[in-house]
Amino acid sequence: MLLTTTVGSFPKPDYLVKARNLFGQKRISELELKELERKATKEVIRLQEEIGLDILVHGEMERGDMVTYFAERLKGFEISGPVRSYGNRYYRKPVVRGKVKRGSPITLEMYHYAQGLTQKPVKAILTGPYTMCDWSFNESFRSRRNVMLNLAEVIHQEAFDLDRSGAQYIQIDEPAISTRPEEIGLAIEAMRIVTEGLKAKTISHICYGDLAAVYPEILDLPVDQLALEFANSGFSNLETFRKSPFTKEIALGVVDVHSPVVEKKEKIKENIRKALEVFPPEKMSISPDCGLKTRKPQEAEAKLRAMVSAVKEIREEIGVAHVMNDRCRSEKTN
Amino acid sequence: MLKTTVAGSYPKITQDKSAPDLRSALNRFSEQQIPEEELEKVYQKTIKRVIKEQEEAGIDIITDGEIRWDDPVTPFAENIDGFEIGGLIRFFDNNFYYRRPIVKSSLVFRDYSTVDEFRFLKENSKKQIKAVLTGPFTFARLSKDECYNDLDRLTLDLAQILHKEAKKLEEAGAAFIQIDEPSFCFSPEKIDLVHEAIRIVTQGLKARTFLCLYFGGIRDLTPRLFDFPVDGIGIDIVSKPENSNLLLDNSFDKELILGCVDARNTRLEKEEDLLKLFEGVAKKIPEDKIYVSPSCGLEFLPHNNALLKMKTMTQAVRKFNHIGSN
Repeated sequence: MLLTTTVGSFPKPDYLVKARNLFGQKRISELELKELERKATKEVIRLQEEIGLDILVHGEMERGDMVTYFAERLKGFEISGPVRSYGNRYYRKPVVRGKVKRGSPITLEMYHYAQGLTQKPVKAILTGPYTMCDWSFNESFRSRRNVMLNLAEVIHQEAFDLDRSGAQYIQIDEPAISTRPEEIGLAIEAMRIVTEGLKAKTISHICYGDLAAVYPEILDLPVDQLALEFANSGFSNLETFRKSPFTKEIALGVVDVHSPVVEKKEKIKENIRKALEVFPPEKMSISPDCGLKTRKPQEAEAKLRAMVSAVKEIREEIGVAHVMNDRCRSEKTN
Repeated sequence: MLKTTVAGSYPKITQDKSAPDLRSALNRFSEQQIPEEELEKVYQKTIKRVIKEQEEAGIDIITDGEIRWDDPVTPFAENIDGFEIGGLIRFFDNNFYYRRPIVKSSLVFRDYSTVDEFRFLKENSKKQIKAVLTGPFTFARLSKDECYNDLDRLTLDLAQILHKEAKKLEEAGAAFIQIDEPSFCFSPEKIDLVHEAIRIVTQGLKARTFLCLYFGGIRDLTPRLFDFPVDGIGIDIVSKPENSNLLLDNSFDKELILGCVDARNTRLEKEEDLLKLFEGVAKKIPEDKIYVSPSCGLEFLPHNNALLKMKTMTQAVRKFNHIGSN
């Protein structure tokens, strides 16, 4: 009940930021960079264990942007220059040039490494076909639909490999999914290809769009859980889910990753209580709004500690309520 | 003779290592490693570069590239009492996010938002220049209204505030004022409201005013759109190719900003296609009333692609004008 987790990325330590820059300037080797990525991954795993999170992530120390990272490793993509996405944040926007194909598995090695470091489950994280397509330029002369379904096949191969390697949780991020409400059917069709035949619990993370525009249609997305932001909008989007019953598991975003201010434990508890009016506790996990990579390491850590201690106290609160309910039930049956 | 302009925004950073790096200056400023004056210097250098690039490409009416704006609403909302700046949310169908202004109380003008930056543009450019405002309807739509609970009243209050801004821009020497209303394309049922709001913003202005609609269609806005109280209308024929026919099938006697070069995809237009398009449009609308333009702000492209698009566009226009005058 109320398992704690994160969306995927963690802040990179200074030594890794430096190493990535040096690697970009060809001043250190790939091997040297990889070693530091592993060191940082190990630190992220230890940190999550120490804070007491239930479902871990590997932290994406080897990734820059969530779309560019995959595009760089797939045939059919090129990478253009930096484009601003908000504030002072940029990403090197990929360009679809032709049919997209995967060579060898992209995420498997790092997944195995991270899972090997801990007894707790590590969630494998991929970027979904709708978002890969929507956040790239398309110079291929193929329709969005063609590009998306092509990407879905490729991402399925990766998800399938992770599944067969024993990943218990596979998250396929689709932050762009609400961009064009008229395309929600296409996004669902593409996700069906990605998750087909997977044994793992599947999750999709969606953020910073108008989810109300695709609700309740989004409930047809073939994944078990949706990971959504709530803190960014002060939980006002909770209203959306009162309109029509939420039929999936939910990972509830309770800390804002775009603000350096660490949320107060009491505020987080208050928000979780509000959400519990809409979602049942047995179907709810607790998480930050989005990836933590935009925060400083100490901010990310403080936010997660506040989150985990809020959840512990809420569990006790509702744990008591549950026992009471059970007692009532057993008294009635007796 | 066709003329050229840009829609407004322009990439803030380049891959040219010798250019002033606004991105790292902003990072360093936020970490208190450089003082505000140093950041200001980088802003000014960046805007001068943006001006120079547009001038060198041969754009007839330039902007300052909206270099100081994080997004098209925050710079205005910050200077209006009654707004709080909220969380990030997607800007139309782009992978670009703005901070959503939240209306907490009745909106009251506090200070001018863009007048100083307009003066800087004026002092540093040789060409004709254009001021850009986010229109009252789009501003209202992009905000979260926790006070008025009435889109009409919110829009009209914003129109009054933007009118004040426009008057001051005119005083500062703005001969061209563009009002961006992309949200209008998606709410044609609000045409009376938008008409009234635009009338308020442009009332009594001597500057030439443009109503700029990008990202969407004009099917349900025509023919009334062509009678709006502005001197010119900007239309995006890339996002909605049918806009081009709608333009030509209706009687149109304003100036036209023809958004025909795709500012949201790196795929480069072919000169011959552009020439063919110009020819078609010029048959219906007098050439000297047409400003050829990218479909929307160029900031959706990486810098080198934006520059290349702009040059391709001006080159095609030069060629068209040259052929036309022979």
